[in-house]
Amino acid sequence: MRAGRGAAAALAILALAACTREGGSGYVEIKTVPSNARAPALYIDADKIEALKSGTTVLRQPVGAAKLQLDGDGGKITLCQFVVKKNRITTLTVSALDRPPRCQCGRTGSGDPRTCIG
Amino acid sequence: MPKFASDCRTSVALAPALLLVFALSGPVHAQSQAPAPGSPEVTTADDEFSKQLRELKKSFADVGKQIDDSTQAIDRIKNPEEGRKSIEELREHVGKLLGAVADNGDVSRLGALALARADEKLKSLQQDTRFKPDERQFLVDKWRELRGSTETAIRELDGARKDFSELLRTLQTNEDYIDELMQIREHEKALQVIHQLSDGIRDASIKLQKLLGGIKPPGA
Repeated sequence: MRAGRGAAAALAILALAACTREGGSGYVEIKTVPSNARAPALYIDADKIEALKSGTTVLRQPVGAAKLQLDGDGGKITLCQFVVKKNRITTLTVSALDRPPRCQCGRTGSGDPRTCIG
Repeated sequence: MPKFASDCRTSVALAPALLLVFALSGPVHAQSQAPAPGSPEVTTADDEFSKQLRELKKSFADVGKQIDDSTQAIDRIKNPEEGRKSIEELREHVGKLLGAVADNGDVSRLGALALARADEKLKSLQQDTRFKPDERQFLVDKWRELRGSTETAIRELDGARKDFSELLRTLQTNEDYIDELMQIREHEKALQVIHQLSDGIRDASIKLQKLLGGIKPPGA
């Protein structure tokens, strides 16, 4: 009975995991320039990004649109939006010398120039 | 209907039924989760990190083989559409590699934990009065050694992250260029780009082989 229960649980988890995997994920690379500048606390939507090692981080992200934000006086300020596509990498560069910091896209789409794509 | 939508729907439909079987087949007994007598009860952050690194090496070797096979297939490609599909497959392989070493992945997280644990141990041992000076020095030296090898492994992973990111970017840029060339019916040029790309991937494969030899789980 216990073995059956274990197998069923494993199958259920696998079924849900397969669903998530099929949805796919891509990557976002965030660079701060200059790399030795003290980077502001950055967020992808509501999730805080850990401190950037040597001014760069590569994060796995679910496919879809998201916002790169930072803390501002009256709440979070959106620096730019980006779109993550399956198995592709979207590159964003945050210029820490600008006040407020500015986001530059590695590549932009034909629509909004503030939306970075991979 | 897109493949994702149909597969996902099947999975979602099956999951509740399977979870129901799980729920009906009895309570979870805490005893069944307990470690067997004599087995180690404490798994430290560095144990987990080392284990993940060993698994990573194995999966890198498997993906490396798939990349090599794809590269050989690219050399024989005679039409751009086939080439574009191969690049898409390659992106998937490289995506797996990058996912394994991403900053928000398990391996990176465990690496940071292992490093923090080593730092904490070193700090506490410096103040520990339980041991004789030579015993304490021995423990401190061992933890320093472990910390050093953890740092080395983390540096290797940082390098791998950079290499895989670059490779993924190269693949997607080339795929987009090939796509553009096909739209203006420059099929010969597209084929040329595809064949040139295989050289770049071979270089990446060599780098991957070097990385495989370089990753040494701490304490191994």
